[in-house]
Amino acid sequence: MDLTNLLNAYPGIHVVQAFLHSLSAAIIADRAIVAWNIRSPVIRQKFHLIAVFGPVFSYPLYQWINPDRGSMHFRLGTLFDSSRWFNLELWNVLPAGPLLVLVLGVATAIFLFQELIPILRHRPGPADPASRTVRASQGSPAASAAEGLDGEAPVLFIVEDDDPAIHSVTSRSPAIYLTTGLVRSLQPVELRAAIAHEVAHMRRSGRPLLTVAYVMRVLLFFSVATLVAFRKAAAEEEKICDDWAVKVTGRPDALAAVLEKLRHSDAYEIEDHEAGEGLRSIERISYDLMVRERIRRLADGRSTTADTGDWLKFAVTVASIAILNYYIV
Amino acid sequence: MTVRHVTRQALHILSFAVTLAVVVGLLKVLNWVPGALEPGLMARYPSIEAAASGLGIRQIYVPAYFPESLRWPPAGILAQSKPYQAVVMEFARAGDGQIVLVISQAASPNFEPDVAIRFDTISETIPLDLGGRKARLEAGACGDRSACSRIQWDEGKVRIVLTMKAPAVELVRIAQSMQH
Repeated sequence: MDLTNLLNAYPGIHVVQAFLHSLSAAIIADRAIVAWNIRSPVIRQKFHLIAVFGPVFSYPLYQWINPDRGSMHFRLGTLFDSSRWFNLELWNVLPAGPLLVLVLGVATAIFLFQELIPILRHRPGPADPASRTVRASQGSPAASAAEGLDGEAPVLFIVEDDDPAIHSVTSRSPAIYLTTGLVRSLQPVELRAAIAHEVAHMRRSGRPLLTVAYVMRVLLFFSVATLVAFRKAAAEEEKICDDWAVKVTGRPDALAAVLEKLRHSDAYEIEDHEAGEGLRSIERISYDLMVRERIRRLADGRSTTADTGDWLKFAVTVASIAILNYYIV
Repeated sequence: MTVRHVTRQALHILSFAVTLAVVVGLLKVLNWVPGALEPGLMARYPSIEAAASGLGIRQIYVPAYFPESLRWPPAGILAQSKPYQAVVMEFARAGDGQIVLVISQAASPNFEPDVAIRFDTISETIPLDLGGRKARLEAGACGDRSACSRIQWDEGKVRIVLTMKAPAVELVRIAQSMQH
């Protein structure tokens, strides 16, 4: 089976259209956030997720609405017909069909090396396995900082490690892990803000949106646009938790100070993987940019837990993307 | 609601509309580029002669026998020379203008013209001798349960397919009149 036949078979068409639909959805959703001046990270996250959810279903849905959508007549009247590119040889040398396959392959490689393999290798706890971990005792600085944050006090574990680090586990036994280095380096108010941020993650873990979104993202492993959109949605999740922490502590400055200290922590270096130093540098820069943006919005007083009022704009954007993608085959 | 608020909302709507317009424009340009780089991709043509001269197709197979119930010239002509030569002619019924006959010729056996006439069931497949050429005749019903038939054969390297919303006997007469 040659490449053209492969791309013209049902799975091939589905992959190509999901790729194109995710690309257009990601671009439009991204620009819509700016155009509509969307500030709430809750709503911004939903905009980014359009490019994660939509392309999984768009092709079968459109075909169900109009079985003739793949016909020559329809293709001649569309906004963009991918089949016009498949047989094209750029400058009579470079075939466009294999170029598309190459783009899909690069996205797949990024998914494998940056997401799937690190998740499979993931070790629980922020420190090395030899570190001693104990439950935070009543009256300890960490336990005191967590008091009265949100109903029942979270389960806290202290990890013997000089590097300042904190993270939460939201599985069957939800808990927050803090290093002794973090407890030592933060003021009580900063420690409270850091724990509040993790409590927000634990509270939100009951919502299946991001879990389902990750399943969709895995299904669209070949799409660069979905990869970027999902990462932006994940970045918004951090901002949502920042905003909740600010709401319960009333101290954006304290959370900003925590982020600034963690930025320089070795524990937040990207874990080793086999994709090479260059890729690690890109990840580190990307992570640092995200943290700096979070610090900036905390400093500017832009944090908000409002999640209403923008649904009409969201609906208009979804409808626009759905109509536009119908004419991308 | 203040004037300032309304103005701001209007600017947001305008900004979003511009975003959509830019994306639509970009898509149209990207759709136009392949045709500009490599002329001869599938397009609509106003006449058989225009398709033949525009794409350098030496022979377009047209039936000598043409039932009176059909309109001439074809209601639609689609043709390409890249990646291989292909021509699709659609003929409408004189009364209601419905497409009832589609003739396609293509220099590739993989060409699927996605014709306006879709078979729902094929009840018979019969090998047929068409003036010394091996043809295959299929008879059955279309989606609206009306009789449909299809016949195909190879004319050298060119595969010819005729699909008609009519019993097979009429289609065979049309196919026989296309022999050279």
